[in-house]
Amino acid sequence: MIEDMIRTARARQRRAVASGMIAAAVAALSAIGLLAVSGWFLTGAALAGLGGVAAVQAFNYLIPSAAIRGLAILRTLSRYGERLFSHRAMLFALADVRTRLFARLVAAPPAAALRFNRGEVAARLGSDVEALEEALLRTTLAPSGIATLIGALALAAFAGIIAVLALCAAAATSLLLARWIGARWLAPALDAERDATGQLIRQYVDLATGGDDILVYALDDDVRAALGDAQDGLHQARVAMVRADAALGTGHWLATGMVVAAIVLFSAAPAPLVALSSLAAAASMEIVGALVRLDLQRWKSRGARERLDVMFPVPSAPVPPPPVDLSAAIVIDGHRIARGDRFAVTGASGSGKTRLIETLAGLRNDAPQSIEIARVPVADLPLSDRRSLFALAAQDASMIAGTVADNLALARPGITRAAMAEALFSAGLDDVVATLPGGLDCWLGDDGARLSGGQRRRLSLARALLADRPFLLLDEPSEGLDLDTEALLVARLRGWLDATGTGLIIVSHRLAMLELADRRMALQSD
Amino acid sequence: MDRSSSPVVSASPSAVAAWVCDALAAVLFALALAQLLSLQISREIGGDGETGWGWGLLLIASALLRGGAQGAAALFGQRAAAVATAALRARVAPALMTSATARGRIVGEDAELAIAGIDRIEPYLARFLPLRRAAMLSPLLIALAAFFASWVSAAILLATLIPFGFGMALAGGAARKASDDQFGALARLCGLFVDRVRALPLILSFGAEERVARHIGAAASDLAERTLGVLRIAFLSSAILEFFSALAVALVAVYCGFALLGLLPFAPPERLDFVRAFFVLALAPEYYMGMRRLAAAYHDKQQGEAALAALAQEERKISERIENPPRKKVTTLALADLVVRHPGGVAIGSVDAAWPATGLHVMTGPSGAGKTSLLRALIGQVPIERGQIRLDTVEVDPCALAATCGWSGQRALLLPATLRANLLLSRWGVADADALDLLDAVGLGGLIADRGAGLDWSINDRGSGLSGGERRRIGLVRALLAPRPILLLDEPTADLDRAAAESIVALLVRTGRDRLIVAATHDPLLVAAADSRIALP
Repeated sequence: MIEDMIRTARARQRRAVASGMIAAAVAALSAIGLLAVSGWFLTGAALAGLGGVAAVQAFNYLIPSAAIRGLAILRTLSRYGERLFSHRAMLFALADVRTRLFARLVAAPPAAALRFNRGEVAARLGSDVEALEEALLRTTLAPSGIATLIGALALAAFAGIIAVLALCAAAATSLLLARWIGARWLAPALDAERDATGQLIRQYVDLATGGDDILVYALDDDVRAALGDAQDGLHQARVAMVRADAALGTGHWLATGMVVAAIVLFSAAPAPLVALSSLAAAASMEIVGALVRLDLQRWKSRGARERLDVMFPVPSAPVPPPPVDLSAAIVIDGHRIARGDRFAVTGASGSGKTRLIETLAGLRNDAPQSIEIARVPVADLPLSDRRSLFALAAQDASMIAGTVADNLALARPGITRAAMAEALFSAGLDDVVATLPGGLDCWLGDDGARLSGGQRRRLSLARALLADRPFLLLDEPSEGLDLDTEALLVARLRGWLDATGTGLIIVSHRLAMLELADRRMALQSD
Repeated sequence: MDRSSSPVVSASPSAVAAWVCDALAAVLFALALAQLLSLQISREIGGDGETGWGWGLLLIASALLRGGAQGAAALFGQRAAAVATAALRARVAPALMTSATARGRIVGEDAELAIAGIDRIEPYLARFLPLRRAAMLSPLLIALAAFFASWVSAAILLATLIPFGFGMALAGGAARKASDDQFGALARLCGLFVDRVRALPLILSFGAEERVARHIGAAASDLAERTLGVLRIAFLSSAILEFFSALAVALVAVYCGFALLGLLPFAPPERLDFVRAFFVLALAPEYYMGMRRLAAAYHDKQQGEAALAALAQEERKISERIENPPRKKVTTLALADLVVRHPGGVAIGSVDAAWPATGLHVMTGPSGAGKTSLLRALIGQVPIERGQIRLDTVEVDPCALAATCGWSGQRALLLPATLRANLLLSRWGVADADALDLLDAVGLGGLIADRGAGLDWSINDRGSGLSGGERRRIGLVRALLAPRPILLLDEPTADLDRAAAESIVALLVRTGRDRLIVAATHDPLLVAAADSRIALP
């Protein structure tokens, strides 16, 4: 659960958390103390002034005036410390949480991990993790808030039990009101807000990938309308949130007014103590107000936590599968493919060639063919086994935003630049990379945007060559290539296969590529 | 695009008024409290005197008024902000979407800017701007109220403003720069998440999870470090504020106390009684309250202004879109020594071509030669470095050509709407039957029949699970249905089996009898059927 993750992350920041708590309590108490002592001093001075010269001379003004100065400085310093420490703890804890969540996402079963929309994942890791910020701040500030409240009650006690009871009642009312409003109004509004934001981002990313169509067909207004619905929902949710806040604020101020009025109207204590107590009550209600607002944030982060729990489930401890002899031949619908064999799969568009390839690679399990390795159905083999067998160059030839070298280095740890250059040669891309500014260190942009479709497929092929697995899985490696380039690719790839003895399973429409294989099977369209 | 209609970035007047109301209520609260305590003092000295129920009622009423005023300020501010951000998004979203390539941006970055970025402007408009106006008005109001009770105290309050102003001026500038840095870091982090999630199949199939997670971890820690840098400075300015706010209370308390005792080391400049003294003391914390609230909203300002600046920076890179009237007919389209270049990329061309009003014409070339880029340059999506595009022998701006062309690219846009709306039939007044015929001809007839709703099939915002090839063919049908004299098609037969490709080639040959088709392709089938061919080097 995300709670555990937050707890672990916070535990790592223990020192900053503790320092923040102490500083927060000191800051709040000195703020209350400053006002209370001032009120007491002023009222005492007024009484002494009215009492004549003797009373004035008997009045000790040195201690209170020194206390006022001291508290003013203490309040400043401790507030700065509080903010800095609590935010340090929070920020590094969040960085920790983000990293662990991402690790969890990639550790999830591929079928689950691949289902997520990328805009949504970004929203979860971005704004939902940011919402945990409040939860972390709350856990720092709540203990210090309680300490402050106890201090304020002690000050209020100078005006008698009435003041203590009134302050207790007011603080409790405010907190209970916050709970009620939070559950009743704020929680649904927050859910609506998050949904609308996720929807808006998803919508944007989807529309933006069709930018050319928007331009050509002047679809600006359609784009605005498509974004507008999600946006209206967002704004309504925000107004509802502000309303809930406003209702709570009004209730809180009413409680403040009543507690101060109760103290000054009903306390039987001497006037200076009533002044001290009433100002302490007013100041401590301000602290309660801050606590109450923080408490409301629990709703904000609750929605976020639930969503994070759903999207990033705790990986179940993997049951170690029975060891399988991975060096055994692969059998696809009776076709036996042993190490070093070169096998082609053909078929019309939509006959499921890519599905077969991705099933072998472990990215899905829904190929209708019977696929076995050492008599174990491939669907029962874990991803780790399958990917140790196959190096995939997928049809979409996706790239990470990074350099040529970053993309090649994904294949396995510890790839040298010389090995990269060799692989680029075998994939027929060495000339292209040589002309790129920076060569291997050329920044490719989003999904290899700087490269053409055909270049990306060859870079993806080079990456698969580097992975050093017993089989290459190639899905339409030469689509988007002209005939000359294709011929060069076939020749170099054949040389590489001969030299390394790697097996090959290839899907293609193109005759030249199919000639790399010794045998083939044709899939029927369904 | 009309840029004069920039959204109003100013404080909502009703929100400011509500904050002023709050300050007035604070004055009433202090007055009632001082009166009540004064009554108690006179009871203690004289033994009689009223309890002051009226003042007690005023105390409660003024507290209630404060709560109401603060709530109203938040609500007014939020409403005004919603209107402004909606206008902003409506303006920038289509402009950003149609210019990502030209600006060299990735979609994830743009999405973060247009959605989360503009969201960050909202608190700035809703809270910060009204608070800034109120933070100037309410101290003056409080000082004025204090002036009537004790002009010396009012002077003390005003005097603390001078060193406070200096301190804020020093800390504010540094905070600003740090905020800009942080904003950039956040956008990059968000872009990184989007990118790595998109590349998840890739990462999984090579077992690169740990390496990628480590990289993400380093980026996240870097962001935390930067944010802390921003906050350290932002908190410094709030510490200055905190100090002067405490100082104001302390000075007023000490002055009033000594004045009441008659122990001032100088001749008393005014006569103070308890009500006046306590009134100004209770008001003193309110003097800096507006600015403390403003400081609490300082983060909103940093985020909001950085988002506005980032938005303005991207908007400056967008070239003006020229809305030329679409042409119903063209006689020739020609490229003369045309060279195009992606920002930071290699030059493509030069290319010469002269196409007549009709026919199927292809551009071929080895992969990476820039066929797609050239096609996109014809609609102004890739910058032209030199040379000309001539329509009917007159040089035209490629942006002006967009409205005259039908377009089918590598990935067609699908709106969350019916198939009919996506094919833009109502806009073009095309009959349903014609559209269904075309869908059949590109091999989508079976798919449409399976969904069972014909053209009323509602496509959801995730593209209803259409494959890349199916999506592309919907784009092709849309282009063919468009009553436009020129069709620009990018790889119309890619990723299709031979039978489907043949059917589409035949369709294009038929269409080419009365329209000009320019297609980028590798497909020998399409090349063989073409009336002319330009080979890119």
